[in-house]
Amino acid sequence: MNPVWTVAAKEWIDGWRDRRAVVSAALYSLMGPGVVGMVSFAIHDADRVLIAMMSVFTLVAAFVGGVNVAMDAIAGERERRSLVPLLMHPVTRLHLLLGKWLAVAAFCAAGLALNLAGFALLFHRVPQPVLAVSLLPLCLLAAALEIWISTLCRGVKEAHTYLSMLVFLPMMLGMFMVFSPVAGNRWWKFVPVAGHQLQIEAGMRGAAPDPLALLGVGLATMIVAGVALAAAARRLEQDDVVYGG
Amino acid sequence: MIEVRHLQKQFGTVSALRGVSFHAPDGVITGLLGANGAGKSTTLRIVCGVLRPNAGEVLVDGVSPSAGPLALQRRVGGMLDHAGLYSRLTPREILTFSARLHAIPAPRLRGRIEELIAFLGMQSIADRPTGGFSQGERMKTALGRALVHSPRNLLLDEPTSGLDIPSVRALRVLLRRARDAGACIVFSSHVLEEVQALCDRIVILAHGRAVAEGTPAELCRRAGAAGLEDAFVAFTRAAEVAA
Repeated sequence: MNPVWTVAAKEWIDGWRDRRAVVSAALYSLMGPGVVGMVSFAIHDADRVLIAMMSVFTLVAAFVGGVNVAMDAIAGERERRSLVPLLMHPVTRLHLLLGKWLAVAAFCAAGLALNLAGFALLFHRVPQPVLAVSLLPLCLLAAALEIWISTLCRGVKEAHTYLSMLVFLPMMLGMFMVFSPVAGNRWWKFVPVAGHQLQIEAGMRGAAPDPLALLGVGLATMIVAGVALAAAARRLEQDDVVYGG
Repeated sequence: MIEVRHLQKQFGTVSALRGVSFHAPDGVITGLLGANGAGKSTTLRIVCGVLRPNAGEVLVDGVSPSAGPLALQRRVGGMLDHAGLYSRLTPREILTFSARLHAIPAPRLRGRIEELIAFLGMQSIADRPTGGFSQGERMKTALGRALVHSPRNLLLDEPTSGLDIPSVRALRVLLRRARDAGACIVFSSHVLEEVQALCDRIVILAHGRAVAEGTPAELCRRAGAAGLEDAFVAFTRAAEVAA
């Protein structure tokens, strides 16, 4: 088996067995359907508000699914002192990182799928398949940022602090896009997270996906994910990561 | 066989190694003996390819990292930085993961893992998650991981730290068996009795330098000391004065 897949499979199994973390990630992913469901009882004829809220919670779900696995995958390896034994294998650090990234991205995608399934069940609103697929780069970006942050931390507690802050990114950017008049400017469609919010909101209203915008934001998202991964790979080459300094 | 030549390593303003050189032949247990901070762990991490030296080189079975750092890692097995296990995985899963990363072909993989489990006497714990393991069980699992690809060279950094007496004895038996099979074993410790009990040759490290190398008897003779402890003190004191 290719080392990248070997690492990804191990991280997936290890992450899945951490039941407390899995349940916590699932609850966070379902928080959106839960909150929007409660709000829908309180206000009537407010589709615009509900859809806007749904789009923001969907963005957040793409990030929360992978947080615990990312925390454990690098910062946890350092804390439990299993990073040095792992680095002793004849596998490049980039391959190890890519395997961990794919595993984290799979958990992000699972969180996103759970969130969309919750909304579909409660409100019978689902984004078109093409839009759902176009959210996968968002999961890859979330995973790359989470892995990068995890490489900067010495232990799980520190990683937990910074990764919790990262989840504010989709929340803040999503809310900004919902309420800001600048959201109508065309270039926002190509900004990662912001562009996704616009697409999700439009999709949940029943509008046809904009292929150019989907392609553009997908490309921009992958570029940012690549930069985050390169930063993580660079960090993993530094001596203090090995020496726990 | 491991040949270490003039290794230097700097961490910021701290010089961890200032030119460490020694030779560890096959079929011999070589002990790296030194006080805390003498450079034992840094040396072993460089030999196993986890850290890069600022200067100097390491040859493992004549292969240099310049041939590709991964070529060196295929020839070395190591138990560094304590056991470092995955608490939710079983020893069998940890060994399988490690074997796959060492690219052991699938048809040989299962047989090799069964062989290791039997060699280390781990049959009763092989399918239990390592989270609740005793220090001895953790050590066996970590040793299995180090041996999974049948390396000719084995590096152990303070492997008996935290182990009870039966586990230490079991580890000694395993290492002697590996040595008798022709492996090159490098064993670091700051506990003199432990090095004396197990090692055929000793390299004394002090202040980032290898200050003496030889069999325990040779070291005592050269230092003009009655025992290894006195020889160790004499060599390290001389290094202190020189530093």
